[in-house]
Amino acid sequence: MNKKQKIVVLSAIVLIAAALVVWISNGGEVLSKDGVWVKKELSELDKSLGLEPQLEFHKQFVLGLLPHTAVFIGAVVVVSGILFFTFKSKKNKENK
Amino acid sequence: MRIILKTLLIIFVIVSASLAQGFKVKAVGEQAFNFEDKNGRNQASFFSTTPLEDVTGVSTDVKGKVTFNLSDIKTLKGSVSISAASIKTGIDLRDEHMKSKNWLDAENYPQITFVIKNVSDVKVIADNKLQAKVTGDFTVHGVTKPVTADVTMAYLDASEETKQRAPGDLLGIQAKFNIVLSDYGVENMVVGQRVSDNIEISANIVGSNAL
Repeated sequence: MNKKQKIVVLSAIVLIAAALVVWISNGGEVLSKDGVWVKKELSELDKSLGLEPQLEFHKQFVLGLLPHTAVFIGAVVVVSGILFFTFKSKKNKENK
Repeated sequence: MRIILKTLLIIFVIVSASLAQGFKVKAVGEQAFNFEDKNGRNQASFFSTTPLEDVTGVSTDVKGKVTFNLSDIKTLKGSVSISAASIKTGIDLRDEHMKSKNWLDAENYPQITFVIKNVSDVKVIADNKLQAKVTGDFTVHGVTKPVTADVTMAYLDASEETKQRAPGDLLGIQAKFNIVLSDYGVENMVVGQRVSDNIEISANIVGSNAL
């Protein structure tokens, strides 16, 4: 592995690790979501009526492993793979 | 002999009356409650959990009517329904899948209905609050099966506070039960294993006797 290849591999590892950190910090959901259901606070009247909190949909992007994080990681793997072999062939050509 | 029979009849009536469990509120006798809320505050929802995803679906298009004698909740009769097309999961594409022929087939089976058949295991929590098991016929995707819901009911006499919600006396109902989707001919094909076969259904509704 030459110097350029090492940089490619290291960059790929850093990018994949960063993507996983961002994914985990977004809740580690398997699937990406366009929004979340939030429980509304109960009014005194609702409590007297024995009700449970109503659900309200809040639009909010939640990054999931699928598809966004996986697509990003896949793209990093493909691009770094291409670069890795590109740099390998250049080195081989130089050696010849 | 007649005296004995009369005495037994009186005892039977007294025992029956004392065993009847209902609400001790201002109103008396038979009451009818309508659950239509034009402001969409009545909700019926389902919850599914799989290793891949939790899915919540909500409908605010709740309609229904129940009648019962206030002194005996076991006289409860009526039904509650929602339109299949009104269920929102928060993802438009998934909502479309749910309405499609492979799933709920909302075009051919537009209503999801619960028809009350029987009330048992009544527990009085307060003068205006009861818990019970309500058995009924649940229809989805054109298939009807009996289910038993755990239900909490609360009765509020009309007041300035209740007017904010609806006119008349109010009946709050919180109900929960589980179904198996495949029992209702829903093959779970389009959504795949992202929706569980076991679904928890809840209703959180308020009816008025003045609607």
